[in-house]
Amino acid sequence: MIHIVTPENQHLFRDEMEQAYRLRHRVFVDEMKWTDLAREDGREIDQFDNAHAVHMLYIADGQVLGYQRMLPSTRPHLLSDVLPQLCEGERPVGPHIWEWTRYCVAPGHRERGRALSPVANALLSGIVEWGLASGISTIIIEMNPLWLLRLVQLYFRTTPLGLPQKVGDEDVLAVTASFDRRTLLRLQEMRGNNLRVLAEPEPTVRRLAG
Amino acid sequence: MSRKSLDQTIELIRRLDRARSPVEICGLLLPILGRFGADHVFAGLIPNPGSSRQQQLSNVILDYWPKEWTHRYFSHGYIASDPAIRSVSTLPTPFFWNELEPLYRDRPEARRVMQEASDFKLKSGFTIPLATLEGDVAGFSIAGEYLDISPDERGMLTLVATYALGRAILIQESAAQPSAVLSPREREALQWAAEGKSEWEIGELMGISEHGVDKHMRAARLKLGTTSRTHAVAEAIRMGLIN
Repeated sequence: MIHIVTPENQHLFRDEMEQAYRLRHRVFVDEMKWTDLAREDGREIDQFDNAHAVHMLYIADGQVLGYQRMLPSTRPHLLSDVLPQLCEGERPVGPHIWEWTRYCVAPGHRERGRALSPVANALLSGIVEWGLASGISTIIIEMNPLWLLRLVQLYFRTTPLGLPQKVGDEDVLAVTASFDRRTLLRLQEMRGNNLRVLAEPEPTVRRLAG
Repeated sequence: MSRKSLDQTIELIRRLDRARSPVEICGLLLPILGRFGADHVFAGLIPNPGSSRQQQLSNVILDYWPKEWTHRYFSHGYIASDPAIRSVSTLPTPFFWNELEPLYRDRPEARRVMQEASDFKLKSGFTIPLATLEGDVAGFSIAGEYLDISPDERGMLTLVATYALGRAILIQESAAQPSAVLSPREREALQWAAEGKSEWEIGELMGISEHGVDKHMRAARLKLGTTSRTHAVAEAIRMGLIN
């Protein structure tokens, strides 16, 4: 199940958020060597982990196995403040546009050469369920261009914001990706059921979007 | 890379999104590829080693190689010795075929494939490795007598290749479902239904009777394997038959 954590309910998820920050550190610092983010306490936390961030946690039996963070495009986010060079034209901004960052899945729960792993599928489905319920239709993604084909196959309608560029050692591409019910149906079809992945019936983010 | 060339790339991507057949996709690609000196394009999923010729052929997604070359390539089982095929699974980034030369210098069967390709005017080639949602490795190759692609243009080409392949895979998937064959009238009726029109309104719009509309809708429901009008619309949208 995907749990959405915001300032309103974070007191209920203290331990899980702790796990999430540690998972982020393990994936982004230890594995992907984004050494700028390294912290001595082993919790990867940056300036965007503020009251406006929407955290999405995949939790099974109390264990955080996957994580992603959504940031409103109407406030400072990675594309506006950290990687502006990836956007060659006008920056996409609006209450219906959020930025998808820090996507990560615990080792052992990732794809093994085939399709999307259940955790990966749930995280993506979580974005789409949350978006469809809160009037959010588009996400900004900075990613390795290799991901693009998978998004196209999942019926995300993507538009490049620039051409791929080197960030450190990696090729990174910024896109907007819009989704609709088709995207949701496709993800449901891939995992073989149409059950909700979001734990809460009603996302509480609408007020924060403005 | 200028803002203008990004805009041109986006415009091409939009047109690729609307393409309805692999032939149409190749037609959209060729003028762009011509700028780099390429007059041929080919894309497919890399088959497992030892797969049959039939399986190899079913993995082809876009084929604008010289016809005789495609025929010769598959009937002689060249896929097993093609150095570009071997490299596409191991190299994470795009490569020019001539960069592979040191890797296959000692393998006469590989040299022969590359030599014969150049006899078919596929002398100079560039291959972009891609990974599909299903975890397959795909290769997107362009070739001609002489290719000239600047480092800046590689990124643009990677984007174009990704969208062309993605669109072609989606087209192939919907064609693989036999129920997807809606007649133009059935599709039109469903499209109007998706826009919230009543049977009567659809009849007016299509210039046919309400009864005629009902007939088209019933046929569409049957073909899509759905029982309700709403479900038929959802299914047709999902399959990319209507918008």
